[in-house]
Amino acid sequence: MSDDVLLRATDIVKSYSSRTKNLGQRTPNRAVNGVSLDIRRGETLGIVGESGCGKSTLARCIVQLLPVTSGSVQFNGVELTGLSRRQLRPHRRQMQLVFQDPYASLNPRRTVGDIVGDPMRINRVASHDDINDRVRDLFVTVGLDPNSLRRYPHEFSGGQRQRIGIARSLSLNPSLVVADEPVSALDVSVQAQVLNLMADLQERFNLTYLFIAHDLGVVRHVSDRVGVMYLGEIVELGDAEALYDTPLHPYTEALLSVVPELNDTDAPRRERILISGDVPDPSDRPSGCSFHPRCPVATEICTTQKPEFVELRPGRMVACHHPRNLDAAPLTVPPPTPPVA
Amino acid sequence: MRDLKVSFATRQGVVRAVDGLSFDVGPKEVLGIVGESGSGKSVAMYSILGLVRDANVEISGSVKFQGREILGLSDKEMQSVRGGEVGMIFQDPMTALTPVYTVGWQLVEQLRAHNDMTKQEARERARELLAEVGIPDPKSRLHHYPHEFSGGMRQRVVIAMALSCNPKLLIADEPTTALDVTTQAQILDLMERLQERHGSSIVIITHDMGVIAEIADRVIVMYAGRPAEIGPELDVVRSPRHPYTWGLLGAVPRADVKNRRLVTIPGNAVSPLAVPEGCAFAARCPHKMAICDERPPLRGAHQHLDACWLTDEQRLAIRSVATTRGES
Repeated sequence: MSDDVLLRATDIVKSYSSRTKNLGQRTPNRAVNGVSLDIRRGETLGIVGESGCGKSTLARCIVQLLPVTSGSVQFNGVELTGLSRRQLRPHRRQMQLVFQDPYASLNPRRTVGDIVGDPMRINRVASHDDINDRVRDLFVTVGLDPNSLRRYPHEFSGGQRQRIGIARSLSLNPSLVVADEPVSALDVSVQAQVLNLMADLQERFNLTYLFIAHDLGVVRHVSDRVGVMYLGEIVELGDAEALYDTPLHPYTEALLSVVPELNDTDAPRRERILISGDVPDPSDRPSGCSFHPRCPVATEICTTQKPEFVELRPGRMVACHHPRNLDAAPLTVPPPTPPVA
Repeated sequence: MRDLKVSFATRQGVVRAVDGLSFDVGPKEVLGIVGESGSGKSVAMYSILGLVRDANVEISGSVKFQGREILGLSDKEMQSVRGGEVGMIFQDPMTALTPVYTVGWQLVEQLRAHNDMTKQEARERARELLAEVGIPDPKSRLHHYPHEFSGGMRQRVVIAMALSCNPKLLIADEPTTALDVTTQAQILDLMERLQERHGSSIVIITHDMGVIAEIADRVIVMYAGRPAEIGPELDVVRSPRHPYTWGLLGAVPRADVKNRRLVTIPGNAVSPLAVPEGCAFAARCPHKMAICDERPPLRGAHQHLDACWLTDEQRLAIRSVATTRGES
């Protein structure tokens, strides 16, 4: 594993069994169905997909909050799957989470100062006084008043609570921050504040982000590279700008075409590709390519043979028998993410 | 609608949820109302339909529908308007439908409440409606319960219900917020097609400027219960006049253009308990002046109005600086 890869996930599968269908018969329900990806040091890898595509499950598997059914997760070169809780601890410190709902992810009965300091107390990384100083520093860092340490979460607005969640995630100096829909519960003006804050913190502390969201605009804005998920699989992964400009997978293309645009310039609107129907039930996965029943360009082969996830253009991975926009996609390697000092 | 005011008396004081809102909706027009949470956009529309029933609420102003005053109608009179001539689409299709009855039952009930129809006729019409909103196999779907539908299909059922009595006006409150983008596109497309066919007017309430740009002819930007800017959709999006609209548009991360630093509006939305007498946005406005302590009138030209004290020259200067900084 080369040095610039912080985390490598190989063929992760997370399956649940459900008994609701076919009375009594257990059907495996693969929420994540063989995902492989690298997260490079210092980059923001965005994962985008519609509800139920398995993006949150993937995040939880990556940080070992959920045990994977099969596959491997290597972090800093260390295999994490199969480690005991105690063995995981030192690695967990390096990977922190920011959650979607700033109302549910903060304990309402503890002061926000305690909430931010807890990770340090639990991991016994500093003395009581040092922790208090550090908490004050963290509050300043994320743009909160350090004199509000004694207050409770309900006294803060949604945006401020998300800042508290971010402060907590930074308290142990992690190298990887996994943010699962960190701004989707916020109004646009507050969302912009939090996104700008996250960008500043990344620069200041050399953070690597795994950023999960359903909002395609948000993901483009924050990401260096983007992975598009559909039904538990990554169907396309590549440099953010290239992926948004020349989507290779028909699902990515359709998804991008239907994002409401502001049409504030005279540039013609992307032609809308409406995909019909709904996302299928993951326990009843279509044969061949999972997207074929809804795909506008599917052919015979798509119904029988699952497409390989291959690098079709430098830095652009895609799983499709009939990739789109190949002529327009650049043949040169996009400039790499700036190395971390 | 003229000078609608809705206020709630609470223990902490009087909440002015809507504070002086006036607008007209023309026939076949799609009017978008956009604003962040707490801007009063939903309360305004609910109160005109008599859906805000709170002992502590005070509603004043005038709402005329086809020339008839509907504010303050009795429940009974309102029932013929609501669901009949005015249809509603709610944000969350699961709560808008009763979970304990089949969608067929709910559609038939609605149809028979407003029309003189036999059960048979209503059932036939319900099937037609489901087919019209693009639900496959409508005949057997009539017998299904709401939980057996996906989110997008449920919203189609709600739209079918709203359309069932051929309303002149359709009020849609965040109709696509709970849906994924691909489903959102299907629903917006459906609403556009149905509007063309039925010729009804639509008032769409949303927080998403993108949705407004896709569907609305005219837009009202609301802040703290007051209109900040009103105008034709293209004018507001391409040459916004109010500093709040500048912030709102600049804060949206875009999927269609390259990254830039997002414009932020400092601070948080103003507390509805403490909306200042002057301009409600002044406390967060980077261009605040002394005169902003007085409430700015809604004024402008060519149907494009805004409530801000800045002169045209000042706005031009501010906008050109913003453009050179790479903010839009």
